[in-house]
Amino acid sequence: MTALLELDRITKRFGSVVVADGLSLAVGAGDIVGIVGPNGAGKTSLFGLIGGDLAPNSGEVRLEGRPVTRLDASARCRLGIGRTYQVPRPFVDMTVFENVLMAAQQGGGQRRRLSYARAAAVLERTGLGNDANVPAGRLGLLSRKRLEMARALATAPRLLLLDEVAGGLTDPEVAELVTIVTSVRDEGVAVLWIEHVLRALTASVPRLICLAGGSFIGDGAPAEVLAEPAVREVFLGTEVTTSLAGLAGEAAREDA
Amino acid sequence: MSTTGSRAAALVPAFTAPDVRVTRSRRSTVWVAAVAVVLVAVLAYLPYLVYSGTTSLLVNVFILMIMASMWNLLAGYAGLVSVGQQGFVGIGAYAVVVFAQHGVDVFVALPLAMLVSGIVGIPVWWLLRRLRTAYFAIASWVVASVLAAIVTSISSLGSGTGISLLPYLNFSATLLGAITYWAALTVLVAALAAGYLLLRGRGGLVLTAVRDDEIAARSAGGRVGRVQRLVFVVAAIGCGGAGALLAISQIFVQGSNVFNVSWSAEMIFATIIGGIGSIEGPIIGAIIYYVIYETLGNYGTWYFIVLGVIAMAVAIWARRGLWGLVADRFNIRIFPVGYYLWPRADMVPAASVPPGPVPGTPVPPPAAPAASPSPAGEELGADGG
Repeated sequence: MTALLELDRITKRFGSVVVADGLSLAVGAGDIVGIVGPNGAGKTSLFGLIGGDLAPNSGEVRLEGRPVTRLDASARCRLGIGRTYQVPRPFVDMTVFENVLMAAQQGGGQRRRLSYARAAAVLERTGLGNDANVPAGRLGLLSRKRLEMARALATAPRLLLLDEVAGGLTDPEVAELVTIVTSVRDEGVAVLWIEHVLRALTASVPRLICLAGGSFIGDGAPAEVLAEPAVREVFLGTEVTTSLAGLAGEAAREDA
Repeated sequence: MSTTGSRAAALVPAFTAPDVRVTRSRRSTVWVAAVAVVLVAVLAYLPYLVYSGTTSLLVNVFILMIMASMWNLLAGYAGLVSVGQQGFVGIGAYAVVVFAQHGVDVFVALPLAMLVSGIVGIPVWWLLRRLRTAYFAIASWVVASVLAAIVTSISSLGSGTGISLLPYLNFSATLLGAITYWAALTVLVAALAAGYLLLRGRGGLVLTAVRDDEIAARSAGGRVGRVQRLVFVVAAIGCGGAGALLAISQIFVQGSNVFNVSWSAEMIFATIIGGIGSIEGPIIGAIIYYVIYETLGNYGTWYFIVLGVIAMAVAIWARRGLWGLVADRFNIRIFPVGYYLWPRADMVPAASVPPGPVPGTPVPPPAAPAASPSPAGEELGADGG
């Protein structure tokens, strides 16, 4: 059986900087995979390569076995890849509803009343129902993060790329977002999830990938990945180390 | 009301759709449409009421409104900052000459010239399509200069010295002035209608999204290149029409005039001060431009100083132009191109809700999509207004 998303030896360089060094990865339908890594590891670039904002120097991206490497972000979205941006990019002079409606009509391919219904449903689901007619530029950070998610969901994705949706949010806010993400996964949508807030991630993903210097240096259950020497070395000397150790311990206890 | 909920749920099992009502603006805009019709009717009757000096001034105002509306579609929506629209102004003007030389009446030549300009726009778009921001601006200017160089090297079109349309005009001066005025009014109404329909249609959401963030628009599945090409060709047609009107109203076509980059400067000025990114803005801006021109145009340097000060003031204090100030203050939109999602509580009295899914509760998927009942009147429900 073909995986939903396959990366086949993807390489991307910016001058002498290698942000993806022959990356290969397979994600099945309904999988939820966390991605961690230090700053500059190439996490967001990886999403750019999957989503189509970036073209690789070599290698192939396949969606359900079909090569999409030469398609732009717009076409890939219509094939089922929805993404959010780490720094939210709302259409600021459009209302929240129009933001999501655009995604439902274009990415989701729905027309008229079906697109209205879908956009309204997505707003309800992401907790933006009361802000529907507010210009997106007036939203605060949490709502902007929700809008990123709402817009991606409105495109009816089969693969959802989440880029730090929990960054900068308080614990209860993170918990709300995690609830939404897991419910999306439960509907069979595959999720690739970059997060600096490790607590959000390790609690909700069965599989964690660690990216550093454009290479995958760990792939497996969160506790195992975070316990690997290579992964710990990458994070060594940062404040994350201690919390990593704690999380690895916690995860191990939960497993036991 | 509608039961779109059950249908949507049938097609998209992952979502339970609430009952929705969406209109294109919060308030009814019927009275606006009525005012617009009356206004156009009054303007159309004007040649019978006023001296030809007034109508020929209005022709110039209309021409600037057409140009500014086109530039607004390009820069205010499609994210294409062109300073090469004079290329299409020139093509339109010279196309009228060519058609006239071949025995076509100038007022028949007008729409043909617009068509020619639009056709020229297709290969030009192909050349420019990968460029954005300043690169697009410079490249569009270069293309316009190349078009000017080619056209003004043709000796049958008077080369650089220009060519008169006088031999091809068989009207009395009064009649010519009136018909030119009506032609300009027609092209203006068509240009505004085209812009409005573009923004109101499905591509309108994409265009508005591109205005705000082109990369995010692509990531949400927007066919950005397609709408940009459409807008570019429409703008070529519109600016060609403006050029054709210039040729007819001035009865003389000279390359250094019709291909002058100052046309781009004027359309940019009118759009910016009026309000970029709205249909209303360029109209207001063109009026303001001509008010200043008529009152200060004779003062030479002072005229330009005032223009400059206004442009700077708007750039600093009113980024969305004077119309932006008015629209935000009074929350009005003349052209309803948005989407208003009605809060459920405001939708309909409870008694008139048809039996079916209760708003807010999950809708069970029906056994088969075809079986979902559609009460009469549903077609009108969601889109009314």
